[in-house]
Amino acid sequence: MIHVQHLTKVYNDQTRGRFVAVDRVSFTVRPGEIFGLLGPNGAGKTTVLRILSTVLKSTSGIALVSGHDVATQPAEVRRRIGFVSNNTAIYDRMTAWELVQYFGRLHGMPKDVLNQRLESLFDQLRMNDFRDVPGAKMSTGMKQKVSIARAMVHDPPVLVFDEATLGLDVLVARNLLSVIRSLRDAGKCLIFSTHIMSEVERLCDRIAIMHRGRILDTGSLEDLRARHGEHDFEELFFGLLSRHEQAERDQTDEHGPGAWSSTTASREQLPTSVKLEPAVESVPGGMVS
Amino acid sequence: MRRISSSVDLKRAADNSNHTINQTRFSAVVLIYVREMRDQLRDRRTLFTIAVLPILLYPLVGTLLLQIAQFTRQHPTSICVIGRENLENAPPLLGEDSFAEGFIAETDRIDLVIHRWDEFTEDLDIPSQTDRWVRDGTFDLVVVIPPGFANVKDLVSEPQRDKEASEKAVTVGSDSNKSIQLLYNVASDQSLVAKDRIMRILTQWRGGWVRERLADSGVKLSVLDPFSVQDIDIAPEHTREAALWSKLLPFVMLVWAMTGAFYPAIDLVAGEKERGTLETLLCSPALRSEIVWGKLAAVTTFSMMTAILNAGSMLVTSTFVFRQIGIGAAGTSLGAPPLIPMLWLLVALVPLSALFSALALAVAAMARSSKEGQYYLMPLMMVTLPLVLLPILPGTTLTTGTSLIPVTGMFLLVRALVEGQYAMAVWHLPIVIGVTGGCLWLAVRWARRQFEDEAVLFGGGDQWELRQWVRHLWRDRQTAATPGQAFACGAIILVALFFGKLAVTEMPTDFAGMSLLVLIPQLGLILAPALLMATMLTTSLRKSLRVRMPHWTTLPLAVLMGVTLHPLYVSLAQWISYTYPISEQASEAMRPFGEMISSAPWLSVVFLMAFVPALCEELAFRGFIFGGLVRNQSRLRAVIVTALLFGVSHGVLQQSIAASCMGVLLGWIALRTGSVLPGILLHFTNNALSVSMERIASSDWDGASIFLRMTAEGPAYQPMWIVVASGVAVTCLLYFGNVEDTTDDLENDLIEFEGHVSDPGTQLQTATA
Repeated sequence: MIHVQHLTKVYNDQTRGRFVAVDRVSFTVRPGEIFGLLGPNGAGKTTVLRILSTVLKSTSGIALVSGHDVATQPAEVRRRIGFVSNNTAIYDRMTAWELVQYFGRLHGMPKDVLNQRLESLFDQLRMNDFRDVPGAKMSTGMKQKVSIARAMVHDPPVLVFDEATLGLDVLVARNLLSVIRSLRDAGKCLIFSTHIMSEVERLCDRIAIMHRGRILDTGSLEDLRARHGEHDFEELFFGLLSRHEQAERDQTDEHGPGAWSSTTASREQLPTSVKLEPAVESVPGGMVS
Repeated sequence: MRRISSSVDLKRAADNSNHTINQTRFSAVVLIYVREMRDQLRDRRTLFTIAVLPILLYPLVGTLLLQIAQFTRQHPTSICVIGRENLENAPPLLGEDSFAEGFIAETDRIDLVIHRWDEFTEDLDIPSQTDRWVRDGTFDLVVVIPPGFANVKDLVSEPQRDKEASEKAVTVGSDSNKSIQLLYNVASDQSLVAKDRIMRILTQWRGGWVRERLADSGVKLSVLDPFSVQDIDIAPEHTREAALWSKLLPFVMLVWAMTGAFYPAIDLVAGEKERGTLETLLCSPALRSEIVWGKLAAVTTFSMMTAILNAGSMLVTSTFVFRQIGIGAAGTSLGAPPLIPMLWLLVALVPLSALFSALALAVAAMARSSKEGQYYLMPLMMVTLPLVLLPILPGTTLTTGTSLIPVTGMFLLVRALVEGQYAMAVWHLPIVIGVTGGCLWLAVRWARRQFEDEAVLFGGGDQWELRQWVRHLWRDRQTAATPGQAFACGAIILVALFFGKLAVTEMPTDFAGMSLLVLIPQLGLILAPALLMATMLTTSLRKSLRVRMPHWTTLPLAVLMGVTLHPLYVSLAQWISYTYPISEQASEAMRPFGEMISSAPWLSVVFLMAFVPALCEELAFRGFIFGGLVRNQSRLRAVIVTALLFGVSHGVLQQSIAASCMGVLLGWIALRTGSVLPGILLHFTNNALSVSMERIASSDWDGASIFLRMTAEGPAYQPMWIVVASGVAVTCLLYFGNVEDTTDDLENDLIEFEGHVSDPGTQLQTATA
């Protein structure tokens, strides 16, 4: 359903110069599966998901959503994907009903089908209390529900949740997780990105741990535990991250203190080295998401 | 190389298969438009500035105007007359405490204080006293009639005295001791009004006096008035009123159309970015083009609504106010505007509003917040305002020249329509439509590019810092300039040339001086900035200046094209100087320059006027700047912007226009061949022919007469040769158009990718295909 291979995104920015935000990321998500993208802030999760939702273009690599290439068939991809992110806000001067209806109509849904769909969605997500409340007057939880309804209105086979629980209280976050579970049971293909480990542990079928633009390891929770001989997921996560950082630091030392010259060197090596091990990559400064 | 092209082919194939889904859906555009409109109408601030403000503003201003008018009307003029007793021998001017009967129409608003000359004593002398009165505003004006004034009596009683006496009378009249003095203060408006009134009274008084004297001396009054003039305005009633309104109203409407486009544009792009709703829309199935069209339609609607409401409210209020003040009486140019011709304005408003809206959208897309958007739109306003101001300058009428200027041409066309000059309007209609349509297309294209550029939509969240920026410039040097660096280089060159021109105070008199005058700007102000920036900001001097070997055939072809295109270029220059005539002053200033060229040795002239400019200008404009602008697939931008910069750098308007046209061609060739070299050759050939035409025509060579003939204005091409040469030039042009396959055009345009991570996916993609 989702197939990502060697996806790379390079930004050109003032502070860090040419900066590799996503570095040869590959993964596959099947229908009826929740794929967790776990990583600290600035690991490149949002960039990957923005590329999947066709809002950004990748520098290289392939991403297929339901068999359509995000680079060459963005319109086809957008019809088959629902994208919920903390960057996708809702309109202040539109009511919940109007907003979801608007996006349904943008999808070209016929009026009667759309109204039926809206009724069932508003029931399912328990949104009938604030049907006619404008966005400006909604609470964070209400807004998130509207966003989910907006992403689900065309009943897409693929749904992407990017940091969707950010800023939600426990109750609403719990509700959201149960909605996502029910979507999996309906056979949808789901990607859920977060920096909160407990959510991943409870929700995801398979997990990819991302750090500084790379996927450090991927597999089901059991696989990961077995592979790293570490039962506690939090320990496992931090262990992976610190080993990666250490390896990077060693690499930098080898290449001398000139950090950016080593970046140039690593850039030339990029095409050949596609392994997942911590590789020759050092980026001065912080990260973007 | 082959890999790149195959992946491009793959993309093209994919694009074709997706043709239906990538087509802009009209229904989606309407949907977005309706939503944006509803969204804006639900916003109190927008409604206030667009609908409520104009309706309230003009009546309020009108009320204020009315009150001010009443105030000025009621303000009496205070005048002091000193020395009434000195008027005794003259016809009556003053009554008891006002002016005499005949001048009564003016007297009702004049407060008159009359003093006798002898009321002033030695310690209170008249000059200082009257000065003070006028200066501190006690009186608006003081009339001083000196004691000597009355001595005219002799003249009256003995009119038949001879010539000698009349000469004496003249001297008497001009003697300051014996003439009436008016003391007024030019800094005070009321004092000026008072002076005006008194002058009218005095003229009337003097006229009566003169008539009296002439009658006494037996001269018929009709002798004084050998003929009379009757002026008749044959303009129909509505045109007379339209004359003012057709200037004023389009101006008001366009300014409001501009402001009306700005705020919605900021809110619809920068505001949505700020609120985070833009990304929601971008990941919806709406295509970027649908979003742009929908938003553009909404902004245009608001722009037009603002313009119409403001102009309408102003019309109604001003008609009412003018009637109240009484200026609107028949015969004056002010009055109620004729409504039906004004409808033409609405027709013209649609494309101009759309143009402003598209520009505002494109500019607003660069801002990350509403506040930032307002900073960006100010410069846009400053750039477009001259185009709106130009048509209201006196003497600007619709001609072929003015109709080619964007916005101005449309404005003048509307004026012609409002004034009923339909034939002239229809004649210029195609040009105006073409120019306006072209500008609109470019603006919309720019807006669309902005919405497809992720650096514009998502970029630049971090704070700008000088040190970091300098480091970034150095650390992240690329093989060619970035678009920003290219724009900066163009701006530096233009500003340097401007100040360079200011520095030249006098024209040189010898060839050496003239050489310096050409060499310094070319080498120091055009080539040096480009070279310096290329050395410091890019990693490859050769690549950033686009010095590459193109396919060998393009080089001789460039020379051939330079030769065959020159007749057309000369014709273009002639047409331009006919359409926009060069002022006498300017051509006078250019003359010594031309004479020096024809007298200097030919080789040095060719070196100076052809080789140096061709090399310097091409390396700067078609080299460094073009290389930066052409990146990110912005071919059109590169060609148009370099042509405009190249044109403006020529300084003289007529030269600039010709150079801009040439610049488009040179840019296109630079694009096709991927190199600066053919441009240098073409440019050199063209300039060399321009400076040698006269020599060739007057040379002993017999063959010269096939191409050239001497006319009164100088050498000109034979008409036959113009036709043949144009044909050859077009053939060359076609060849350059097809040169793509034989040169590394694709690779040259993809220079930005050099040093990038090469793409492991490409192989996979090809493999899957």
